[in-house]
Amino acid sequence: MILTRLATAWALFQGLLIEALPFLLIGVLISAGARWFAPGGRWLRRLPSHPLLGPLTGAALGFALPACECGNVPVARRMLSGGAPLGAGLGFLFAAPVLNPIVIASTWAAFPDQPWLLLARPLGAVVVAVGLALLLALVGEPQLLQADLLAERRLHQPLAAVGLLERSSGLVGAPPPSALDVAAEAAPVRPPLAELMRHASQEFLYLSLLLVMGSVIAALVQSFVPRSWLLAVGGAPTLSILALMLLALVVSVCSSVDAFLALSFAAQVTPGALLAFLLLGPVIDLKLVSLLGLLFRPRGLVLTTAGAALMVLLIGQWVNLWRL
Amino acid sequence: MTPPPLLQRAALWRAASLGLWALVLLVSSVDGRLDLLLRAVFHPLVALAGLLLLLVALLQLRLAFGPGRQERGDRRQARTLVLTAAIALLVLLLPPAPSFADLAGQRPRDETAESELSFVLPPAQRSLTDWVRLLRSQPDPRLFAGDPVRISGFVLPMEGESPQLARLLVRCCLADASPVGLPVAWPAGQAPFPADQWLAIDGVMGLRPAPGGGERLEVVPSRIRPIPRPARPLEP
Repeated sequence: MILTRLATAWALFQGLLIEALPFLLIGVLISAGARWFAPGGRWLRRLPSHPLLGPLTGAALGFALPACECGNVPVARRMLSGGAPLGAGLGFLFAAPVLNPIVIASTWAAFPDQPWLLLARPLGAVVVAVGLALLLALVGEPQLLQADLLAERRLHQPLAAVGLLERSSGLVGAPPPSALDVAAEAAPVRPPLAELMRHASQEFLYLSLLLVMGSVIAALVQSFVPRSWLLAVGGAPTLSILALMLLALVVSVCSSVDAFLALSFAAQVTPGALLAFLLLGPVIDLKLVSLLGLLFRPRGLVLTTAGAALMVLLIGQWVNLWRL
Repeated sequence: MTPPPLLQRAALWRAASLGLWALVLLVSSVDGRLDLLLRAVFHPLVALAGLLLLLVALLQLRLAFGPGRQERGDRRQARTLVLTAAIALLVLLLPPAPSFADLAGQRPRDETAESELSFVLPPAQRSLTDWVRLLRSQPDPRLFAGDPVRISGFVLPMEGESPQLARLLVRCCLADASPVGLPVAWPAGQAPFPADQWLAIDGVMGLRPAPGGGERLEVVPSRIRPIPRPARPLEP
């Protein structure tokens, strides 16, 4: 019995991994493409840093860079390490997996007779992304971001943007830019192709190992926790939302196909629960936890999970009040 | 500065690791395991990703032998190579062998409401999935009583009733598989088939009293043949 279950878990693991690897590769290639076409990433630092406009702009970038949530992590990392305002980077990380043409099209294909969902999903994703960006901004970058990401990010930020206590170099008070800085800013150097390849290869290899870890956990939990338990609560308004949120965490499928999965149980659950499933999965799931660990310290991860869960629960409740 | 020996060059290690991932994706694309893991629409994407990774691996290999500045592999890169190699070898040497009955037993039934159905298929050409969808959209069982049936599927034990013949529907990968099944009037006096056994059944649709009142359809077999698992066992 246990051997049968382990064999099934092994197959689930391979399914999750082999399905996600191409998307991860796409994400790494987009990130490398951004380094090639916009060397120096000046455009990143020009994104708005306004607490609301920043995340909204980041979210809107999803339309330009269609990657699902696994591919999104390397792109968001590239944005943050290139000095993009924190809000814009986080807005992209959390909303772009939903706000992109592929995901919107697949949601429409799965639920052509539920137009409210087509509007509620992107809208909900923006609300959750803005909320999370505001919440995580309260923590402060040094406590939020991983040390190596922070170090890369500092290289691309003007000294004046870095708090006095966070500086490891430089003089107190922003010095006037030297002629050399101005020249570098005016004509950033395009990285040589070999260097670009080296960086992209290393990033893919590192992320793929994190993906393996996430897929192992997701496969084991899926094999040993019967899914029918989660869907047994069916029509109970709050319980069904919580159950479907848990399911989204466990199942860990890509945002580009999760609507089709939701279709298979849409008839059994409340509308709020359905939306909760479609909103939470793209932000956080078991497979993503290890990938997000590349960006956030544990505190950031916990806050992201708790904040997203709370907001999605509230949105689900509100939808149930409206639709039931 | 003298370049590090060939075997200690980071570019060579990266080429090896990337090559291993490329091998995993390419071998999976040709050895038939994708049919067991992923919906067919994703198969070309996996093969393409494998080819791209192979290309990048070859470029890294060229770099390792090239005249440019050579970087010496550090401990983290060594760890990445060892772990990648271990995982890739495990995946290549241990192909997936899931128990469909075990997987289906833990999943809720697929309840997709079909809005459009094609009725062009004559009864004997309908697959198990076609039958389940048809019965869901046309709940009056009397419409189909006596129709000929030729279906195949695996034996799915059911709690509190006799086993059904089932299939797994997959939207993306095995992780989202959900089962559909049809009740079968198994011949009396015959030893039950084990779970997961694939069967081809010829017979007719028959009516019998449903547990909750009313009537329901079940497959009344005239011939049952054990068959090997089909090359493409998952249905979209």
